Amino acid sequence: MAWRKQIVDWLDLRLGIRDLLEQNLTKYLLPRNINIWYTLGAVLITLFVLQFVTGILLLIYYVPDPAEAFLSVTRIMNEVPFGWLIRYLHVVGSNVIVIALLLHMLSVLFMKSYYRPRELTWLSGFLLFNLSLGLCLTGYLLPWSQLSFWATTVATDAAGAIPLIGDEVVRFLRGGPMVGDVTLGRFFALHVMGMPLLLGLLVGLHLFCVRRAGVSRPPFGPDYEPWEPQGSFRHQEHPGGIPFFPHYTTKDTAVIFFFLAALLGVVFFAPWLFLPPGALEPADPFVTPAHIKPEWYFLWAYQTLKIFPSKMLGLGVQAALMTFLALLPFIDRGPERRPARRPLFVACYVLGVLLIAGISVWGHYS
Amino acid sequence: MREANVMLLAKSCLLLLLALVAPGVLFAEETVCIQCHGGQPGRLGEPVNLWRQSVHAVNGISCHSCHGGDPTDFANAMSPARGFIGVPKGEAIPDFCGRCHVGVREDYLQSAHGEALGLGGPQCVTCHGNHAVRLATPDLINPQDCTRCHDYGRADEIKSAVVETDRMIADLEHSLEALHRVGIATKEMRGELFSLRNDFHRLFHSVDVEKVRSQTADYQQKLGKIRNRGAAIEEELARRKLWGGVVVALLVLGGILAMLLHKAYLDEERR
Repeated sequence: MAWRKQIVDWLDLRLGIRDLLEQNLTKYLLPRNINIWYTLGAVLITLFVLQFVTGILLLIYYVPDPAEAFLSVTRIMNEVPFGWLIRYLHVVGSNVIVIALLLHMLSVLFMKSYYRPRELTWLSGFLLFNLSLGLCLTGYLLPWSQLSFWATTVATDAAGAIPLIGDEVVRFLRGGPMVGDVTLGRFFALHVMGMPLLLGLLVGLHLFCVRRAGVSRPPFGPDYEPWEPQGSFRHQEHPGGIPFFPHYTTKDTAVIFFFLAALLGVVFFAPWLFLPPGALEPADPFVTPAHIKPEWYFLWAYQTLKIFPSKMLGLGVQAALMTFLALLPFIDRGPERRPARRPLFVACYVLGVLLIAGISVWGHYS
Repeated sequence: MREANVMLLAKSCLLLLLALVAPGVLFAEETVCIQCHGGQPGRLGEPVNLWRQSVHAVNGISCHSCHGGDPTDFANAMSPARGFIGVPKGEAIPDFCGRCHVGVREDYLQSAHGEALGLGGPQCVTCHGNHAVRLATPDLINPQDCTRCHDYGRADEIKSAVVETDRMIADLEHSLEALHRVGIATKEMRGELFSLRNDFHRLFHSVDVEKVRSQTADYQQKLGKIRNRGAAIEEELARRKLWGGVVVALLVLGGILAMLLHKAYLDEERR
């Protein structure tokens, strides 16, 4: 089409659009032996966009008022055309995001992709992980169901274990002594505006770091050698690698499709997996359910608080663990990245994963 | 006028029970009645254990709900000034239970059983038990219990007349529960079903075969309407699953195609 060429020419003259596309797509080379774990970034971007779109659609009918919230959600589920689908995509999608985030983090850990000069990439990713959990927590309350009300009460109550200012933190989180309408307003604002804006900025920073430093090479295969960073900044090139487009984008697309298939499989065939019975009853501040447990991804924290003799100690252990994870790039500074040559790290890695999983299962059944 | 008042009171009681049941299973709070009697052996302690197995306990009906008194004050819990009634004697039992179960009491008093009250005939606790109170179900109509006074013939006819409808009610309850579990708003239908079930169980107490048979058809028709609405929703859910399967299959297919395309590009690059 001539008109298309004219448009591209017009833009190219002013923005260098062809060069821009070439530098970021067809001429942007990735390591030839790049593995499937690297696609999780694209999967997560897709899932975040899905959450954003479904979230906006839910906003059309959702009412952030304690007396109306549950009714509005019921209306979305039963009266709005395809409202059930949009809500399920939003609810189940958040859980799939956590799964993808965990896989992403664990694969980066295993391949030591956080190694110098990618400390900032790791830190921004770590913050993104915690921010996503914060979005899950704030979104959890919005339906104002019996489960969400009491789970939020328990979750915010945990902050009370912070020494000296614990009670003030709890009051700040709740907007008062008890979870109530102020809490709903506060969490709604955070969930709808505060955290998404922050998320967007952090995603931008994360992607900038990835693009600027270059994609790290997988530490596998016979031709791998530890890459010693130079004294000054240098973008990591991969001569002889594969083009980002169309070679790698097709791989990204494939994994994105598989993740969406899993998400929609749960949405259509087993939505109750992530909606326990307590999520189907309106909140009643005067009736405490017999068992209140957080979502599966908070169970390890919940059980850790119960294991230790004092809540402060349990909270301290969690804080220490999270701090250790955040600062890992500055602790593990050896040049070797191949897992087979780092037995101590692999042992700690496996034991750590098993420990967290074990504590979560314990928390689920206790 | 008396009829209208009784009906109004019956509906109020049903609404009260519905309100108690709607939030889910509620266990009655530990009152001073339970704390005191629960710790005693023999005749005084036995009612607590029996009550815990009762339909009353499951629905949050506690000692003071029937016997009166103050459930929060140890010293005055059993004071008549605080409304304590105590244990009713035989002939007073239907009036005792009828303070809540108004319609049931009415049907009972008009029945052959009611006419025999005080003359050796049965009253509430004869069939339902006193503290381990059992819900009105067809199982209460059985040869062992009914033949204590008369042969089982007419009782068997009544049981045959009601058992099918009772099964319909139970099936519908399970069906609506399953719909609720996947996020469908069934509160309205469950309310209708609850009301129908209570009215139907009340019908048992008239012990009139002809009346039971004639009204059963009406109940089954009403149940059929609820069942049809439930079936329509289930059909919609089945359609969703069908389309869901198509979408998932297409996504998996798309993923496979993209992966094949990826391999084709790599092979092209390698050549």
